[in-house]
Amino acid sequence: MVKGERPDGAVHRGLRMGKLGLSLTGSYLGYQLQNLFLGAEARKEKRRRFGQKASRRVREELEFLKGPFMKLGQLLSMQTHALPHEAIDELANLQMRAPGMHPTLARAQFKTSCGKYPEDVFREFEEEAFAAASLGQVHRAVTRRGEKVAVKIQYPAIRTAIENDLKVLRSATLPGRITGHTPGGILDEMKRGFLEETDYINEGRNIDFFREQMKGFPYLTIPKVYWDLTTDRVLTMSFVEGETIAPFLETRPSQAVRNRIGCRLFELYLFQIHHLHALHADPHPGNYLFRNDGRIGLVDFGCVKRFSADVAELNRYVADRVWLQGQEQLERMIVLIWGPNVSAAKARKMLAVFEEFANTLFPLPGTTRPLVDFGKPTLLNALGRNLRTAVRDRLTNPEFAFISRAELGLYNLLHQLQARVNTREVWNRVAGPKWGIASKT
Amino acid sequence: MASKRTRAAAGPRKLGAGKRVENKERTRKAILKAASELFSRKGFHRTTTKAITRKAGIAEGTLFNYFRTKEDLALYFFQQQLSELMEWFRRNKRLQRAPLSERLFAIIHYHLEQIGPYEEFIGAVYLRALQPTSKLSPLSLQAQEHNLRYLGFIRETLARAEEEGEIPALGDLGAYGFALFHAAMITYWLQDQSPGKEDTLALLDRGLKLATSILKRGDWAW
Repeated sequence: MVKGERPDGAVHRGLRMGKLGLSLTGSYLGYQLQNLFLGAEARKEKRRRFGQKASRRVREELEFLKGPFMKLGQLLSMQTHALPHEAIDELANLQMRAPGMHPTLARAQFKTSCGKYPEDVFREFEEEAFAAASLGQVHRAVTRRGEKVAVKIQYPAIRTAIENDLKVLRSATLPGRITGHTPGGILDEMKRGFLEETDYINEGRNIDFFREQMKGFPYLTIPKVYWDLTTDRVLTMSFVEGETIAPFLETRPSQAVRNRIGCRLFELYLFQIHHLHALHADPHPGNYLFRNDGRIGLVDFGCVKRFSADVAELNRYVADRVWLQGQEQLERMIVLIWGPNVSAAKARKMLAVFEEFANTLFPLPGTTRPLVDFGKPTLLNALGRNLRTAVRDRLTNPEFAFISRAELGLYNLLHQLQARVNTREVWNRVAGPKWGIASKT
Repeated sequence: MASKRTRAAAGPRKLGAGKRVENKERTRKAILKAASELFSRKGFHRTTTKAITRKAGIAEGTLFNYFRTKEDLALYFFQQQLSELMEWFRRNKRLQRAPLSERLFAIIHYHLEQIGPYEEFIGAVYLRALQPTSKLSPLSLQAQEHNLRYLGFIRETLARAEEEGEIPALGDLGAYGFALFHAAMITYWLQDQSPGKEDTLALLDRGLKLATSILKRGDWAW
């Protein structure tokens, strides 16, 4: 294998993934065996070291492979206990990426999809991409009418590549499916999600939906789709100004600005959960653009998750700690998170961890410090523990796993911003009693 | 006086020859234009010489003064395309600074764009080329002349990358290797059923990136 070069074809990817699986399984097994001979203290240290080493290795391997395997990495990190929470943290930042295209290829692919070369359609078109996007890359352009736009071009034949990879994945995840750590439906769900993500027409519709539904937020910019310049592989949108998180932080925004942005991110998240029952899904930091006046741009709507109202209900349960209100509420919540078949004893064990998380995210009313400081790792750690316990006891409900992934992405972002947010105040404004969001209990 | 008359007489005669060459070239191009339009619409086999002459607006006998067979016409078609490709490539300043994998991609892609309207015709030429008596066979002297011109052009492109240290010195072998890859890509392109033949683009891109990176590392050395 050539270092730094992407392996081509399903077979090569399969071999490499197999190697990753083997090396991980190998070292994980070794770790389990050693456990038998180690005392408690040494075990703790060993586990920590394993965690760091394994997560680094996973990220390196996955970044090399890119493509759907990376997404699998994210999903499996929630679905199996092969990866400890250090790895989950690393993986939350990964995004499905396609190989970069040089200007000649991008131009050729544009013509393949639109029937004309970019220079025949736009007044100006930048040959070099300015950003990588899921499955493709984005170029700046100016329309004939003089509007600044971003043109997202998909890497050729990515759909075929994904279909091939999924075939390999089916066999690669067989052990996980047998042991029950990888729910069987997850591969079908992934396939559906991926193929949806390769269709830019679908993404355009998502953008239209969110743009319409969220027009009430004056600080939020969602691009406008230029349908006459959009196909299933080329998406033309209005250009959204702003910086992604890392360069934005380099501009040293004040604490007040970071708090304002943090508060708004939390507000947008709750609004999507409670009012849209749909989530701008990939919690990748590259999908958020920030400006120093506190404005936020949302881009990349390839992966939008729609879910049942149960998720909103669950969120309300966390905010109100409903399980403390009585047996009936407690049982309803257990069913919501873990499904009807979970044993009460297991669920009760989980509740303690869950409560810790809830207390951190929504400090109890009357607390002297209503602000949640996302700069501290407390919340991320609590969520990580929550997930690990859920996963270890195989209590994971896919809907819950998804929402946890999105939450993890959001809190990671807030953590990087070191934002201080009055979460209770935001919650009351967006989802509180005046909205009459009734619980089903 | 006599010498003056001779010089004076020589002038117009020379001009006449030049004009004749020019006219000849114009007719040749008109025939090619008519033929390629027909090849594109009807394919190689179903295009008759009669149809070509009618479309080009010339007498049927005139055609044979220029091209003795349809194969000669096909060879001329390829020569013209190669000239056009070479001229386009040398004129494209950005491409001259691009990495080798992109330059090579651009060469094959431009060629595929050129032959795009003539898919059936190219397929027929490929089959013809398998016959040893055909002028289109890679072994025919006429075809070899064309191939040498192409190989020279590729050699020149690779030599620059060699000089700049982008790849190790490959000599003529590199040009032959690329020519084989180019031919394989055309075969793949002819069979490609994907929308807009995008599978060809992906294969071309990945193949060239892989090949150039292997060359860069020197793993090819034996």
